[in-house]
Amino acid sequence: MSDRPDDRSDERRSHEPAPAREGTGFPVRRGADRERVRAAIRTELEGDEEALSQAETREYHAGDPSHHRVIALQNVHLAFDEPILEDVSFAAVEGETIVVAGESGTGKSTILKLLLRLLVPDRGNVYIDDEEITQLNFPDALKVRQKMGMVFQGAALFDSMTVFENIAYPLREHTALTEAEIEERVHEKLSFVDLDPDRVIDQLPSELSGGMRKRVGIARGMANNPEIMLYDEPTSGLDPLTTATITHLIIKLQRELGVTSIVVSHDIRSAFKMASKIAVLANRKIAFFGSPEELSGSDDKYLRDFLGGY
Amino acid sequence: MRGRLTHETIHLLERFNKAAKRQVHSLQEFFVLGGKSIGFAFSRPFYGGDLVQQMEAIGVQSLSIVLLTGFFTGMVLALQASVQLKTFGATMLIGRFVSASMIRELGPLLAGLMVAGRVGSGIAAQLGSMRVTEQIDALNTLGTDPIRKLVTPRVLATLIMLPTLTVINDFAGILGGSVIAWAYVKIPVALYWRTVWEQIAAGGFIFRYIPNDFVHGLVKPFVFGGIIAVVACNFGLKTSGGTEGVGVATTRTVVTSSILILMTDYFITQLLLAFLGS
Repeated sequence: MSDRPDDRSDERRSHEPAPAREGTGFPVRRGADRERVRAAIRTELEGDEEALSQAETREYHAGDPSHHRVIALQNVHLAFDEPILEDVSFAAVEGETIVVAGESGTGKSTILKLLLRLLVPDRGNVYIDDEEITQLNFPDALKVRQKMGMVFQGAALFDSMTVFENIAYPLREHTALTEAEIEERVHEKLSFVDLDPDRVIDQLPSELSGGMRKRVGIARGMANNPEIMLYDEPTSGLDPLTTATITHLIIKLQRELGVTSIVVSHDIRSAFKMASKIAVLANRKIAFFGSPEELSGSDDKYLRDFLGGY
Repeated sequence: MRGRLTHETIHLLERFNKAAKRQVHSLQEFFVLGGKSIGFAFSRPFYGGDLVQQMEAIGVQSLSIVLLTGFFTGMVLALQASVQLKTFGATMLIGRFVSASMIRELGPLLAGLMVAGRVGSGIAAQLGSMRVTEQIDALNTLGTDPIRKLVTPRVLATLIMLPTLTVINDFAGILGGSVIAWAYVKIPVALYWRTVWEQIAAGGFIFRYIPNDFVHGLVKPFVFGGIIAVVACNFGLKTSGGTEGVGVATTRTVVTSSILILMTDYFITQLLLAFLGS
């Protein structure tokens, strides 16, 4: 385990917020302040039963050392014409939801592409289920991708296919399920994302609203029952009610199916509701990695500005 | 002054070097894409359903445009030939003139250019839109190789359908010529078609039964088909910059494939003449 990135996070698998994160220069508030922050978070979560349950689940996972690391980035460097990421490391244990936040253009979505091995880092390692994926050839990378479900910012549904065909696509590609079983699975997934299968199943993506497209995107991402879900800005461009629906869905996935999730978002409100840990990217580096409580308690000016008083 | 000039020269050379490398890299990508798309035709999974769908989109849906182009080109050829041949009193040879022009050159060329415009632009726009709306990335994340799923069926379909369309185009052109020969020059239809066949026979045969004219007429569209499909897929998959980028990819596809078709036509003709004779 010692060769895995950020082993220190093992020490953080406790109910207590961690002390100041070593090496980051972003100290965490302590004592009375900590209590104040916790109270504020509780208030925020009040009336949001599902989110509260999720918070409990999060604490359960945070304190459970039996869960293995499903995702890990280790000292990742990436540059195109200019540097994009420098020395980025973080890890997610089974069942955790990590929110990667940061300003636009800081390389948040690039992290997802690294995890999917759509990009290969210049230096550093990327692990999925303890398997180093940066050196994999293309066919093996395709196999690793089958462990993951990806939800794109614009849903990225195949516009020439119906909702049914979109969700059935990964099942037809990678499983030996019969058509009846596929139909059953599609209905199950659509119901999970709170869509009426009989109403939407034959519709084309262009006939759906933005929120419905996102939900179909989630249904397609989870069709193969992946152990990892990746979300790229799942709530961007949505109204507050739909944002809440999508946030609840992500929480539901983690709580009911134990899926490990990486969510790229700058929607801080949703991030605090769903995250086990939050990674803040700034200036190509991880400026903060820790629990939402630790982030709220941070004294760092950049983080305070970024949170905007949240 | 001398030092500055040297510095500017070096800078210029560096820029030239970068541009040349970019071009070579693009060329390499083009050939790699073409090679992979053909290679995937011989391994699993093979998307047969997509191939049939693309054959319908590329071939069947291009039929009307190719028929019209061929028919009117044949009519114009016959009309022009009648004027020129009249001065020699040889209007009965209109059939030979139309046949030679259509089967060897104009049929493949016009079919190629029409398909480059209709199909090439369509492929580039479709793949470009899929790229900018992240559908290509979605395919990748769903464990599907986009080249296998999208490029291979399109390349194979174009390779199969363009020669087919060319044969239809040739026939439509010769038919158009016969209409003009009969209605305008008053040449009997039977005589017209006999001269058409005489021209085909005069070109010689390969393997005893295959007319050289047919070889000329079928090798070219096969190569043109590969050029159109790979250029369109290459530009489509490399699209960036939103809807504007899709427009740019489409334009570049039509321009590039048209120029390549015209250029390769010359070289293929040279090669075929060298191997098959006149």
